[in-house]
Amino acid sequence: MTTETVMLIIGFLMILTGSYCLIRSYHMLKIIIGIEIAMKAGTMFLIFAGYMNGHMGLAQAYVITAIVLEVVVAVVLAGVTIGLYHKYGNMDIRNLTQLKG
Amino acid sequence: MDTIIYVSLAFLLGFCIMAVMSRSILKSAIYLAAASAALGGVMFLLGAKWASVFEVSVCSGLVTVIFISSISLSNMKIEDVHKLYDDKKRMAYLPYVLLFGGFAMIAFVLTKDINLTVVAQSTMEDFQNIFWNTRSADILGQITAILIGVIAVVVLLREEAK
Repeated sequence: MTTETVMLIIGFLMILTGSYCLIRSYHMLKIIIGIEIAMKAGTMFLIFAGYMNGHMGLAQAYVITAIVLEVVVAVVLAGVTIGLYHKYGNMDIRNLTQLKG
Repeated sequence: MDTIIYVSLAFLLGFCIMAVMSRSILKSAIYLAAASAALGGVMFLLGAKWASVFEVSVCSGLVTVIFISSISLSNMKIEDVHKLYDDKKRMAYLPYVLLFGGFAMIAFVLTKDINLTVVAQSTMEDFQNIFWNTRSADILGQITAILIGVIAVVVLLREEAK
């Protein structure tokens, strides 16, 4: 088994771990952590593709864009979480179904 | 070098699993930061030096600060936090499905003998040239995304007028 195969398997297992967190938890911050883990696997796959094809400069440009988007997603979801806490006193995502308008 | 990559990958997966399974949100945030640091190490070893710097400084630093700020702005009781984690009856079969899926995928990769050899040696492409010239539209998108994020946080966290 080569290093490349191990990286592929670890990446898929990270996506499965993030998906497990997304499906199983009701805590908003925990769900953000699940999204971050799955996005890290995507970032690793981009670097892996650049390493395989020899275009590491292009892969790095894509990865930096992905990291910026990852941070923006984390910031906006953290803001939604704090808004949820101020409105309902907890961070249960089931409260989001009660929103109207 | 392969040994260091294997160790970094093991740390990466281990910290991700600990971030998901930990019962404390603070510990989860710290495990996520450690996973980002391990991923930064993997990137550095593969030759993506700029991306590894961004991964360690932004994902391991800034995102952790955001998480800890969110945790400190709320003061949920620990009993309430534990209630939110999982409902034991809901999707009780899910871990088994994911474990089976993981093992099936590993078996598929190992038995199919997928050709994953590196097709080209990494050329010393000028990263700055690609980032600022070839992918300059991405920079516009990044700036727009950052502005949207800032505006969203300002709108979400503004105090209601009394």
